[in-house]
Amino acid sequence: MESMIFDMTERLLRDHVSHALREDAAAGHCPEGLWARIEEAGLHMAMVPEEAGGFGVPAAEALGLVRIAGAHGLPLPLAETLIANAVLARAGLDLPGGRLTIAEGDALRLERRGAAVHASGPLTMVPFARWADRVVTLVRLDDRAHVVSLPLAKLTITPAQDLAGMPRDDVAVDLDLSAADIAALDMPAGGVRALGALVRSLAMAGALESILGMTVEYANDRVQFGRPIGKFQAIQQYLAIMAGEAAAARTAAEMAADSYDTPAFALAVAAAKSRTGEAAQTVGALAHQIHGAIGYTREHALHHFTKRIWSWRDEFGTERDWAEDLGRAALSSPQETFWHFITDSTAQGAPA
Amino acid sequence: MTTTAFPPPPPGADHDDLRQEVRAFLAEELADFPPEKRAKSWNGYSREFSRKLAQRGWVGMTFPKEYGGHERSALERYVVSEELLAAGAPVISHWIADRQSGPLILAKGTEEQKRRIVPRIAAGELCFCIGMSEPDSGSDLAATRTVATEVEGGFRVNGTKVWTTYAHVADYMILFCRTGKSEDRHGGMSQFLVDLKATENISISPIIDLLGEHHFNQVIFDDTFLPSEALLGEKGEGWSQVMSELAFERSGPERFLSSFALIEELIRLLRKDATEAQQAEIGRLAAHLMVLRRMSRSVAGMLNEGKNPALQAAIVKDLGAIFEQDIPRLARSLLSRPAVPGASDSYAAVLAYTELTVPSFSLRGGTREILRGIIARGLGLR
Repeated sequence: MESMIFDMTERLLRDHVSHALREDAAAGHCPEGLWARIEEAGLHMAMVPEEAGGFGVPAAEALGLVRIAGAHGLPLPLAETLIANAVLARAGLDLPGGRLTIAEGDALRLERRGAAVHASGPLTMVPFARWADRVVTLVRLDDRAHVVSLPLAKLTITPAQDLAGMPRDDVAVDLDLSAADIAALDMPAGGVRALGALVRSLAMAGALESILGMTVEYANDRVQFGRPIGKFQAIQQYLAIMAGEAAAARTAAEMAADSYDTPAFALAVAAAKSRTGEAAQTVGALAHQIHGAIGYTREHALHHFTKRIWSWRDEFGTERDWAEDLGRAALSSPQETFWHFITDSTAQGAPA
Repeated sequence: MTTTAFPPPPPGADHDDLRQEVRAFLAEELADFPPEKRAKSWNGYSREFSRKLAQRGWVGMTFPKEYGGHERSALERYVVSEELLAAGAPVISHWIADRQSGPLILAKGTEEQKRRIVPRIAAGELCFCIGMSEPDSGSDLAATRTVATEVEGGFRVNGTKVWTTYAHVADYMILFCRTGKSEDRHGGMSQFLVDLKATENISISPIIDLLGEHHFNQVIFDDTFLPSEALLGEKGEGWSQVMSELAFERSGPERFLSSFALIEELIRLLRKDATEAQQAEIGRLAAHLMVLRRMSRSVAGMLNEGKNPALQAAIVKDLGAIFEQDIPRLARSLLSRPAVPGASDSYAAVLAYTELTVPSFSLRGGTREILRGIIARGLGLR
C-alpha cells in the first residue's frame, strides 16, 4: 500500500511539476490545476485515519509523501495540509478540505468573551497563507493546549516570501472563534514547531537527493578538457561528499518520521532538523560548485532546489536552535553517561 | 538514488535486555579501568577480557552453534559491539576474528578449517591479523607482490606485509597474496589461513607508531611453506573474497566510536555549566551520532539478510571517520584546556591520546579518498 501511494505521487509530480511551473509559482501564481489533481488523488488526506478519508497507512509512513514533494520542489502546501488535517482529525474537528497551512501560535492569545473564544495576535512567516483556506495552530487556553483552525479569508494577510519566492506571509488575527474551530488536544512535545521541523527535514532530504541526482547527471554530461568533468577525481570526491550528506539527511529525517507519535519524537526531530540543515549547507555549496556558472542562472533548474533547502533549514527552528535543544537535553539528562542518553533517546518505543 | 538508500533498522533492534546484561558485565569487569586506557578504544588488547566475554556468549554470536557460535542476529551482535566500544573495553584480541575472519572462514573455508578454527574464535581464544598492505601496495591493493607458488603438498610464499596490526601476538593471519598471473588486475589473487605460531620462516618485527606504541608490524615471508590446507576459499578468487569482507569491516560502530572516551570526558566537564554555544555544539555532536548509529544499524540489518551493502558501508566509514576525527577539534573549541600525555587530569590525558590517534582514522580500513572513489562509482559516474 505504502509503495503504491509513493509510486502514484512520484508519477503525478514527475508529470506535472516542471521548471516552468516552479517559475510561475515563484512569480506569484498558485498552481490550482495541480492542487486539484493532488486532492483528486487524496494525497492531502494521507495522514488521517481511514474512516476520515485516509489511506489506512500509518502516519509515520504517509510522511514519506513529504520527502517526494520535496524531491520535486512542489510549490504547494501539501506537507502543511497533511499535518493540519492530521492534527484536526486527532482533535476530533471537521476536516474542512482545501489547502491548509500551519503556524506556530506562540504569539496568539485566546480569551473567553462570554460564551465565545476570541483569538488575537500575529502569526509570522506562515507558509502559503495567501493560497490557503485555513491556518491551523496550537494555542494555550485555560492551561491546556488547544487546536485552532482559522479561516484565512477573515484574517489580514501581509504577503512576504522565502528565498525561493514561496509565500511566507504575515497574518494578523482578530476574530471570535466558532465552536467548530477549536478543541482541546494533548499534543506530543514540541507542538507545531516540531511537526513543522519534521516535514521540513523530510522535504530537505528529498530535495537533497534531487540535487545530488542533477549534479551527477551534469558531471556525466559536461565535457571540459576533452572528457566529462565527472572523470576528474576532484569532482568525484565532491560528489561522494554530497552523497554521504544526502544519505545522512534522509536517514535523519526518516528517524524522526519513524518516531512520530512516540516519546522519542522530540529528540529525534531535533536531531533531524539540525542534521538536515547542516547537509543543506554542504550539498548546496558543492552542487553549485560542480554546476559552474550555468547553475547560477535562473534558466537552470538547480536554484529552485537550492533556494528551497536554504529556506527550509531556517523554518520551524534553525539547525542552531534545534542543536541547542538537543545539547541541553543531553547535558542535563539524568542518564549516567552520554552513551546511555544516546541509546535511550533513539530506542524504538523508549520511555520519555 | 536507490543505490545509497539506508533501509530502516529492523524492528526490535534495541535488544534492551541484552544491552543491560552487557552493561552490568562491563561495569564489573572495567570498574577500575581508567579513562586513558578506555581511550585506546578497540586497539586495547587483553586476552583475558576476550575470554571472559566469550564465556558470556558474546564472541562469535552470529556463528552457527555447530561451530561453537550462538546463532544470534547481526543486530544482537551490534548491541554488544557498541556497548564494548562506548565503554572503551580492550577488545582487539578477538575483534578482527569475530568481525571478519570468522565469517570469512564460515563462508569460504573447508569443513576441516571451520571445525578446527571457528569454535576457538567463539571461545575468545584466537587473535587474528590481516596480511593485506605491502610496502608498495597500500590503497592500491591490486599492486600486491607477495606471491604463493604452488609446490608439492602446498605453497611457498615470498614477500613482505606491513602495517599488520597485532601480528606480534596473533595466532593466525589471513594472508592476501598472488597465486598466479592474470590479464585482469584483480585476478590471480588468493587468501590463506596462516598459523603464525606453527609456521617456520616468518619473521615479524615491530613498526612503532607516532604514539610510541607497538600495534603495527612488518611480516616477512621467506620461502615460507604453507600446506595445501592453508588455502582459504578458491584459488584465484582472493579479490572477490576480500571485497565481500569489506562491508563487515567498514560499517560497524568502531567506525564512529573510536573517540568516544574523549566525548564522555568532554561532556562530564560541560555538564555542570554550559553556555548556549556549547550546548549547540554538543547537540550537533549528538545529532551526528544518532544518525550515524542508525545508518550503521541499517547496514547490520542488510548484512543480516545476506546482502552485500558495500556502498552503504563506504558511506558509513567516510562519515564516521569525519565524525570521530573531529572530536579533538570540537573539544578544543569548547574548552581551553591543553592536552597533556599521561596527566593525572583524565581529560588532559585522554585529549592527548585521542589527538595523536585520530590521523589514523581516515587511513585504516580504506583511506578517505579510496572510499569516496567507491561512493562516486556507486553514483553511476561514467
